Amino acid sequence: MSFLVRCPFCGDRSVYEFRFGGEALRRPAPDAGEAEWIAYRYHRKNAAGEQVEWWFHRSGCRQWLKARRDTRTNQVIECWLPSQERP
Amino acid sequence: MTFRFEGRQVEARPGDTYASALYRAGQRIFSRSFKYHRPRGLLCMDGKCPNCLMNVDGVPNVRTCVTAARDGAEVRAQNAYPSLETDLLSAAQHFDWLMPAGWYYKTFTHPMVWRFVEPHIRRVAGLGEAGAAPDHRYEHAWMHTQTAVIGAGWAGLTAALEAAERGEEVVIADDQPEPGGQSRYRGEPAAGLIEKVRSTSSIRLLQGCTCFGLYEGNLLGLVRPAPHAGAAEQLIHLRARRVVIATGAYETPLLFPNNDLVGVMLSTAALRLMRMHGLAPGRRAAIAGEGARAAEVDGALREAGVAVAATVAPKDVLGASGSGAVTAIRTRSGDVSCDLIVVCGPLVPNAGMAAQAGARMVWRADPGAFVPEDLPAGVTVAGAAAGDVAHTGDHTPAGGKRSFVCLCSDVTSEDMRRAIAEGFDHIETLKRYTTATMGPCQGRMCQLSAAAVCARETGRGMGETGVTTSRPPNPGVTLGALAGPRHHPVRRTPMHEAHEALGAVWMDMGDWKRPRQYGPSIADEYRAVRERAGLIDVSTLGKLSVRGPDAGKLLDKVYTHRFSDLKPGRVRYALLCDESGVILDDGTISRLDGERYFITTTTGNLDFVHQWLDWHLIGTGWDVRITNVTAGYGAMNVAGPRARDLLAKLTGEDLSTAAFPYMSCRESDVAGAPSVLLRIGFVGETGWEIHTPAELAEGVWTRLLEAGREFGAAPFGVEAQRLLRLEKRHVIIGVDTDALTSPYEAGLGWAVRLDKEDFVGKRALTRAARNAGPERLVGFTLNGPGVPDDGSAVVLEGRIAGRVTSCRHSPHRQAAIGLAWVPAASAMEGARIQIRVQGVPIDATVTLQPFYDPEGSRLRQ
Repeated sequence: MSFLVRCPFCGDRSVYEFRFGGEALRRPAPDAGEAEWIAYRYHRKNAAGEQVEWWFHRSGCRQWLKARRDTRTNQVIECWLPSQERP
Repeated sequence: MTFRFEGRQVEARPGDTYASALYRAGQRIFSRSFKYHRPRGLLCMDGKCPNCLMNVDGVPNVRTCVTAARDGAEVRAQNAYPSLETDLLSAAQHFDWLMPAGWYYKTFTHPMVWRFVEPHIRRVAGLGEAGAAPDHRYEHAWMHTQTAVIGAGWAGLTAALEAAERGEEVVIADDQPEPGGQSRYRGEPAAGLIEKVRSTSSIRLLQGCTCFGLYEGNLLGLVRPAPHAGAAEQLIHLRARRVVIATGAYETPLLFPNNDLVGVMLSTAALRLMRMHGLAPGRRAAIAGEGARAAEVDGALREAGVAVAATVAPKDVLGASGSGAVTAIRTRSGDVSCDLIVVCGPLVPNAGMAAQAGARMVWRADPGAFVPEDLPAGVTVAGAAAGDVAHTGDHTPAGGKRSFVCLCSDVTSEDMRRAIAEGFDHIETLKRYTTATMGPCQGRMCQLSAAAVCARETGRGMGETGVTTSRPPNPGVTLGALAGPRHHPVRRTPMHEAHEALGAVWMDMGDWKRPRQYGPSIADEYRAVRERAGLIDVSTLGKLSVRGPDAGKLLDKVYTHRFSDLKPGRVRYALLCDESGVILDDGTISRLDGERYFITTTTGNLDFVHQWLDWHLIGTGWDVRITNVTAGYGAMNVAGPRARDLLAKLTGEDLSTAAFPYMSCRESDVAGAPSVLLRIGFVGETGWEIHTPAELAEGVWTRLLEAGREFGAAPFGVEAQRLLRLEKRHVIIGVDTDALTSPYEAGLGWAVRLDKEDFVGKRALTRAARNAGPERLVGFTLNGPGVPDDGSAVVLEGRIAGRVTSCRHSPHRQAAIGLAWVPAASAMEGARIQIRVQGVPIDATVTLQPFYDPEGSRLRQ
């Protein structure tokens, strides 16, 4: 594993500078059903293909980032600041 | 220049490798084979085959044919007993019929027999011994470039100049001592090209630098030997936008009986010996080859003064004769005596790196080679590596005894044939069963022959048979180079020197150094805290400053307790859980004023907690700033019945319980240093945790110890602290809890406020409050002698039912006390359990109360 992540602040950086934060998921409403909460806590898609993930630039700007990565090729297609997300 | 080889001095000329110098000195046997201990001589002279591996200065498996000789080096042979010339274990080859590939799998099937036999097999078969090599220093370096070119032959040099003309920065890595590739021995001088590359400032030429892998993101692994005096090897992480693989082609052996005898040599090796080192490879040669390549070798041999006895087309070669060294070549038209057989073998494009990058290896009947196709973006292959090699003729591998496919692990074509007959007829299973292509040459010498034998035996075509997967590192890399320098970061608290002066015994806590104890007696440190006053350095605690109008909201969302209603000047225990209700961390949160909170975390979890808070802030729009102030503050805890008297000497703050009650905080000067004081009690006595600017902390520590002298105060270390907290039944997160512990199981349910609105873990904790797991963390007192180790089993009715997480001898209770996980039914005051102490179950009594001062009156005094 030696792919690059294009940090919006720091540019192309080795993945070893980052901490993986898991698949990006939407937290259920507090009163959502039990199945939805269990899925949020324990179920992961583990997609063979593109997925949106959390990454923390530990050895760089120390910001939480979101990235779209192809898990088959480990290519990071885009990486952005979550605060710039359009709902 | 001289070096020692097996105890004798060998002279080397400039430009010599160890192997060329040894050849000049008359050495012909360079190694003994892996399994049969057959003598082996120089074969490839290109660093591709296993035949010249030796131990150089304590480093095993050095490819001596490409490693430049160094003055004063100590070179030793491998895998030969007692010497290369007389290896007693070579008797093994006469029993080869007993040991076909995979024989030990079938012979030693009983585990007990295998256990007995394995060490002997390992001793006899082998590839040198790893040395301790304490003097070798290894380095890592990082480089970036626009274009990286692997190989400095014609194709590589040309590609580098093209890239440079486009204005790109270029790095060329070449594993030979000099650039030029095959032009160095084929009489097509590349001097002009080399000169042009050398005078181009944007090209950096790394000579003698082996590329062992191409990884994701165009990361190349390079090893450069002796980058400077004092360093054995340097591993370069080279990142490139574009990679040009110009690794050329290499020659591989022909298959015929006794094709491994000393004196059977590839034509490129003979050319290298003659043209690069001025050596005559033999006296009377036979050439196994045809066409232009045979003619080229013929000319060169005659020029070097070697008689050419015969030139035989590969299809007419029946084998080689000789015991150990070649004495004749056997052909369809009779035997011809010679001491050298020069083999014009198939040329294989060196495209393993392209395969690593994801290219498909496709068979091309013309030129008779697997060539890379479908390369990923950013990777190109140039020259011979791309398949631009001369057609070498279709050679059908000759069968017969002792035709070695794999020289690394002594696998013959007969072994392969049998393995295929046993059903291992796919190239990948054949590889795993016979171990062909899995030795030090990593398939370079044998991959094509293995595929050819497999194709012939199965009746499939070469394209359908395919080749085995190429994986890095190729060639092999020393573990030292991969491991790199031994740098371990060490963090020291601001009071480190003071502890050193006090005779601290150190322990590691993550990167931190902490005093475990100061004197020989932990009991003395314990008594100082319980009877007088003690001082401990707690600077390693994580410290976070959380500020802003919405700080309370964030803490309410993330921690289990409520903090928005915490009054300024108050402190509250803080428990952090994840969405599954599992405890992640604990600490204290102090509200310094309306918008300023001060958090402490456990030593190891600071970064995690900081990132956790940051993450939960995203998208809220709340006005909160979180700052890690751990390194900015030194921290110490003064505790004990005389702690107030002691601290009062150094601060103007009113320390009376009325003015400064338990679980409150003040900002005040201590010994002149602006500090934050928390009145908390991890060890169960009246005490203050003092956070003071790091640059002043050592002074404050020293002043506190001086002020405490009249009260008999003493410093105490982590071990005494662990005992003191255990008597209070305080839990250490990560020691007494694990990755599934909920607060309700650990007796920390009081720190969860399910009545506040949504927070992280509320959903799961609401459920856990009603229906916690089957175990509980309880205290216990052992009713017998001994102290169980942490991790000892809890036994109920003769069966293991839980485990001890912490246990110490309590001076207060005069018995072993501890924390343990037990079934919920036993989590009752006075319940009887047993704990296994050195194999013997001893009775113990469960308690849910602290062992010391259960009412907590001493804390509140």
